Amino acid sequence: MTPPRLTSSRQPLRLLQDRVATGLITAGGVGVLLAILAIGVFLIWETLPLLAIGESLALAKLSPLAWGTLKAALAALLFAIPVALGAAIYSALFMSARLRTRIKPALEMMEAIPGVVVGFIAGLILAPWVERHLASALVLMVWLPLSAGLAGLLWQLAKARLQRRLPLSWAGLWLIPWLALMVVIALWLAPWMEQLWLGGDLRQLLDQRFGMDYATRNALIVGLAMGFAVIPSIYSLAEDALADVPSTLIEGAQALGASRWQALWKVALAAAGPGIFSAVMIGAGRAVGETMIVLMASGNTALFSASPFEGMRSMAAAIAIELPEASPGGQTYHLLIFAALVLFIFTFLVNTLAEVVRQRLRRRYRQMGGTS
Amino acid sequence: MKAGKVNTASRRPRFNWLNDLWPWLCAASVALSLLMLGALLALLLVRGLGHFWPATLEEVTLRSGDTFAGHAVREVELPQQAGDERLYFTGNQDIEGARWRWVTIEEIAERAQPTDLIRLERSPWGDFIGRLSAIEQDGQRWEGDAAWHRLATLLALPASQRQESQLLLTTVDGQTLRQPLASVVSAQAPNAMSWWQKTHVWGDGVWRFLSEGPRAANTDGGVWPAIFGTVLMVILMSVMVTPFGVLAAIYLNEIAHQGRLTRLVRIGVRNLAGVPSIVYGVFGLGVFVYGIGGSLDEWFFSDTLPSPTFGTGGLLWASLTLALLTLPVVIVATEEGLARIPEAQREGAVALGATRLEMLTRIVLPMAAPAMLTGVILAVARAAGEVAPLMLVGVAKLAPQMPIDGEFPYLHLERKFMHLGYHLFDTAFHGEDVQAAIPLVYATALLLVLIVLVLNLTAIFLRHYLRRQRGNEC
Amino acid sequence: MMALLLVTPPTWGQSLPITGTLGAVGSDTMAGLMLRWGETLTSRYPEVKLQFQASGSASAPTALMAGTTRLGPMSRPMSTEERDNFIERYGYPPLELKVARDALIVVVHRHNPLRALTRQQVDAIFSTSRACGAEASIRRWDQLSATRDWSFGSIALHGRNLASGTHGLFQQRALCGGLFRNDISEHPGSSAVVAAVGESANAMGYAGFNHLTPAVRAVSLYDDDGIAITPDEAAIQSGNYPLSRYLYLYVNLPPGASLPPAEQALLALIMSDEGQQIARASGFVPLTPSVLDAQQRW
Repeated sequence: MTPPRLTSSRQPLRLLQDRVATGLITAGGVGVLLAILAIGVFLIWETLPLLAIGESLALAKLSPLAWGTLKAALAALLFAIPVALGAAIYSALFMSARLRTRIKPALEMMEAIPGVVVGFIAGLILAPWVERHLASALVLMVWLPLSAGLAGLLWQLAKARLQRRLPLSWAGLWLIPWLALMVVIALWLAPWMEQLWLGGDLRQLLDQRFGMDYATRNALIVGLAMGFAVIPSIYSLAEDALADVPSTLIEGAQALGASRWQALWKVALAAAGPGIFSAVMIGAGRAVGETMIVLMASGNTALFSASPFEGMRSMAAAIAIELPEASPGGQTYHLLIFAALVLFIFTFLVNTLAEVVRQRLRRRYRQMGGTS
Repeated sequence: MKAGKVNTASRRPRFNWLNDLWPWLCAASVALSLLMLGALLALLLVRGLGHFWPATLEEVTLRSGDTFAGHAVREVELPQQAGDERLYFTGNQDIEGARWRWVTIEEIAERAQPTDLIRLERSPWGDFIGRLSAIEQDGQRWEGDAAWHRLATLLALPASQRQESQLLLTTVDGQTLRQPLASVVSAQAPNAMSWWQKTHVWGDGVWRFLSEGPRAANTDGGVWPAIFGTVLMVILMSVMVTPFGVLAAIYLNEIAHQGRLTRLVRIGVRNLAGVPSIVYGVFGLGVFVYGIGGSLDEWFFSDTLPSPTFGTGGLLWASLTLALLTLPVVIVATEEGLARIPEAQREGAVALGATRLEMLTRIVLPMAAPAMLTGVILAVARAAGEVAPLMLVGVAKLAPQMPIDGEFPYLHLERKFMHLGYHLFDTAFHGEDVQAAIPLVYATALLLVLIVLVLNLTAIFLRHYLRRQRGNEC
Repeated sequence: MMALLLVTPPTWGQSLPITGTLGAVGSDTMAGLMLRWGETLTSRYPEVKLQFQASGSASAPTALMAGTTRLGPMSRPMSTEERDNFIERYGYPPLELKVARDALIVVVHRHNPLRALTRQQVDAIFSTSRACGAEASIRRWDQLSATRDWSFGSIALHGRNLASGTHGLFQQRALCGGLFRNDISEHPGSSAVVAAVGESANAMGYAGFNHLTPAVRAVSLYDDDGIAITPDEAAIQSGNYPLSRYLYLYVNLPPGASLPPAEQALLALIMSDEGQQIARASGFVPLTPSVLDAQQRW
């Protein structure tokens, strides 16, 4: 830092410069903020002509899309929430500090994988595979959590030396080969189990017994693929919230005789609850707006069906395929822009809610930190 | 984790289900996430890079007596549990009318791998798989091994110096074909190759994929224009987003009155990062392309109407849209950096007589620079992988002419451009033959993921490094 | 009328230096074909620049109208409404050129025993309205006699998205203008339809003929005389196959004006023998010489 040269002749120039620069920054800053605001204004402006058409038509056209959007988001969250929260709890409370500095960026890296890549894998590779091996896929979903429990059981029974070699704090890493092995075993056993218990193809059974249709690209696939994309955002925020819970709280609870489970459930989760809530909200916002994955993996059928084996069509995907063809000023154009407005408002509200909750939580922790 | 009803405190067995199992479920969640990530990357790596490895050609004889040559691609179960079938890539689309053949395993009588089978890459009709019987040139004729050597010498020359000659080709079932040399891109006899030669061919293939333009309606060739388009678009975007993002952040953090309104605006900006990218695309299409672009055309380019200049999606609009999309990322990151600078630094500067401008440019900005850089890198990483908004504002299926060339004004902002992500979507869903395109799609996906991951890793390391450095300072 | 539109069409092969940008917005079905024509053109005139966007035939009139392109490849003829809109905007009709022959095919998985369908059956499978006169909807494979033993339950339907000409034409020709079922998976490209059908045994879909791969089989259709006609090159070229169609290129050309050289060269290439062979290599069917001659006269 050079000390400012205070020659009196330059003083007015400096002040002028300062005033001009401040003005410029203000103008630039306000301009940028206004430009951002313009998005909302534009969307509302372009939606106004819809009022002339009447809302019943808009409702009829948009309601399957809205349902599809919700179904896709719900499917994704059903998969993502348990996995992301489990991962967050583990890495905030159990993982060794050294491992955590490596694993957290690795998991956050998942978020960076472009949606178009995930969509391609889901739509063209995973979907046909699941269709041919539906039973195996379903078995895997049950088998993987069970096998994690099995790992825990075996670990409890194992000798102390082995327990030291494979500690819980590193389990996030050494369970990977275990799970991979379990996947292989499940894939090997599933067709056989399908023969034995179901007497043939699960899909035929679904069809004959329950009259359920099966579409190649369905909510199950979208849930898996979009869940994969949403896990990192939920994980990252939930982990932050849990890691910020003052450790004195958990230690105190355990000192007072609470089991680890109780300490987690009654203390840590309760304290970080709002943070976890906002993490889930952010995840939901992402799932609702994700375009390429749904476009490539959902089949784009505008159906009102709750079946996990049938497709759906989301608003974002409909905008992406149909807006380039809609003539500007036409009815479809306005309808699609209305869909964009709905997406905008929804994600904006959800994110605002999450943000407000998070800020309040931060204040609460600060108070806790102050008193303890 | 769900079955939280059991009262665990009352009895204390040695193994407590709830207490001892749930950490494992949580640990398994981490393991599962990592496993999925690893599996995805491994799949992309193996399939993306494996495509360039010269596959062993088989001569397959069926029980019906039919023969064909090709390389096995994959096997699937027949419907109704009737065994397996195998997909062969057979090439020869001009002779057979198809490039693929499905045969059930039971049908196959014999599989051989003769070393004289060759694979020619041709430009209008795709690959030829079969045998080279002769080469004719100016009345001269080479046959057998001599023909193969002659072909190798001819192909080693640059395309302009190759003399006009004819290749006489035979398929394994005896059909013959005359092929002018001009249409041949490359030739291999993979069954006769050593491991070293194959590695060489592989390296060559990877290089050509990266450096050439697409051929045969995007089902073949490379992705160079897409790489170039992606990079150029991202550079333009960061040129636009950095100054504005930083300005807005400085305004919010240093100049604006820190009241309720500023707090609301800050929350608003943060939330815009969560608004779906497709919404930005809609905005870009409506405002930039139809609105501003349309007006620009009417005012300045009316002589070329109805051919539009700026009234259609293009490089400029795409970069602007993505700049808007990534603006919140840069603002938030810069603001975080600014907020972390101790107030004492600012006060010290002002106390020494610095104006606000001097305080900002000499003290605050240099200290916040790393945070800004992180923000820009994160913005770039986000923009490089974004496809949905681009579909609305200017990405093209094929634009082999680069947006930069020797023609005035050198940088053509109005041109459409190719983008890796859209190229991936396009070849996987719009191409002529998905099966043929899938290996290239894998390779493109791998490339895209690598670019995005490298950018993100840079941001993470930068942040980590700078935080530690700053930690030492304090 | 067309004779007035172009003054001197250059013959294909003239080696004048031609520059300019060729932009086209329209049919996804024709994307590959347009690309190959473009590639051939640029290999001869390296100065010509290509920009193609393919999101569906419906985008061509929109783009022509909005002025975002001069060339609009379409896999169906323009509707009267689209044409009227164009005339209203510019005061003259767009120049319509037939550039190749194609057909819509109904495809099933390669192992599916189904060989042929009547028009009524196709309608009964894909539509809710049954405008072609079928008595009941067909939902399940065992409702068709050929696939009584094909134990895959209900028929999973695959098709194209709303904007594509394939979607519109199938609706008009195969469904007799009726309404599609709403549980058809809508794919953003014909090759995605074929790939999806090739992967699942219970699937049926419709796509452009050029996307036919050995992973699926094209089902023959009965014509009005009750003869099952396989969609092969001869049947499509002659128009005997019920769902055959022309592919069109619409050009925004004011009367009396002439096209820029790049567009002229492209049209000349398309109408040449070489251009038609390229169409064949892309999986389409070349035009008959009489159709070509009729259009040469412009």
